[in-house]
Amino acid sequence: MTVVRQPLAEPRAPRRALPAYLSIVSKNHPEGTSLPLSPDAWVAMVRAVADEGDRQAFAALFKHFAPRVKSYLMRLGLAEGVAEDLAQETMVNLWRKAASFDPAHAAVSTWVFTIARNLRIDHLRRKGNQPSEHDDGHGLLMEDAGPDERAYAAQCEIQVRRALELLAPEQAQVLRRSFFDEQPHARIAEELGIPLGTVKSRVRLAVRHLRRLLGDHAP
Amino acid sequence: MTISHHPRDDVLLDLAAGRLAAGPALLASVHARTCPQCGARLRALEAAGGVLLESSPPQPLRADAFARVMERIAAPAVHGAAQAALPPLAVGRSPADPGTAETGRPDWPEGAPWPAGLDGCRFGPWKWIAPGMRWSRLLAPPEAAANVFLLRIGPGRSLPSHTHGGVEWTQVLHGRFHDGHALFGPGDFDAADGSIHHQPVVQGTDDCICLAAVDGRLRFDGLLARLAGSLVGL
Repeated sequence: MTVVRQPLAEPRAPRRALPAYLSIVSKNHPEGTSLPLSPDAWVAMVRAVADEGDRQAFAALFKHFAPRVKSYLMRLGLAEGVAEDLAQETMVNLWRKAASFDPAHAAVSTWVFTIARNLRIDHLRRKGNQPSEHDDGHGLLMEDAGPDERAYAAQCEIQVRRALELLAPEQAQVLRRSFFDEQPHARIAEELGIPLGTVKSRVRLAVRHLRRLLGDHAP
Repeated sequence: MTISHHPRDDVLLDLAAGRLAAGPALLASVHARTCPQCGARLRALEAAGGVLLESSPPQPLRADAFARVMERIAAPAVHGAAQAALPPLAVGRSPADPGTAETGRPDWPEGAPWPAGLDGCRFGPWKWIAPGMRWSRLLAPPEAAANVFLLRIGPGRSLPSHTHGGVEWTQVLHGRFHDGHALFGPGDFDAADGSIHHQPVVQGTDDCICLAAVDGRLRFDGLLARLAGSLVGL
């Protein structure tokens, strides 16, 4: 028998008027007002969304992640309106897929990142007149890890955060730009006046250092 | 299964960052599903993406953004987004199953599992190119269909070089070949640019099945001509 884990079957309808505590998300707060929460606290909130349709938990997730997703998408060159729509879509996906989120497998930040990344890919493909009929391989990247990888993934976020802090600044910058620049290699090459091939070997070097800091010493 | 040929770090980084073209992205994600080492590396890089996302400066949303999201959540999922995340129910779905047209899976060697990373993909039936050589066209996902295909080559036969210039990507799904330098078996990944000229030969008694991708858009009539041409030494 195949047991299929359903996302939250019937999302409860939100009340028409938002309760007072949700004003926190409907107003623009200056940077830094969101509480720094541990990875486990975010996991508990996603659980609360999945199990109870907890709107307060969802509001906290929204307040923290939606503006950062919008920022990420704009830095990758999407127009503000599109970035706004996709950031909202990311949060709709977060609610709908909350029940299938596996905290042993990925941190909430990792999960949100992959949702936003995949929505951006789909958007670019639609724009290129290549409609995507369904979730393709990109959406499957995070499924079906074996037990070893799960143990690895569970500690991943904290370790990766530390490793990024330990990287040489220029290497951290290369990695950051690989995620946040539209044309990272070409632009780095132009700015530093070095050949594209050299940029690519710097990227590989940065990833290898990151891996070593994470205990992966394979070539 | 020992996997000895992996995507380079920059390929995995591009995959994690969402900037790899659809064809190579499909191959690299199939590899990462098969290879525990690359799967862990990919997840670490995705975790880096998450950490960097969290450290990016927030960009305020519209004042009504939260209300709009809650409205959409209350509405039925018109695009079927929730359903799309579920694994396809490919096995034993109906008694009147299958056949390639129905399953999207061409005839596969006895006892060999269908690669997990290809669950969401549909292929056409095997088509004859030349003696001992068949190919199957990727039908879906459509964004990768233009430049990804399966090649099935018989024992002792040579794999053709299917591009002139550009990068050609290969993920071995079944069987083995030797390219004159190294042996490639199930799970192995190869990205060769057009400057490398080797003549891979299928080893052992099994067919060798590879998922292949080429950079850019590929015209399939051109592909067939080149595949056949490479066999007769053109």
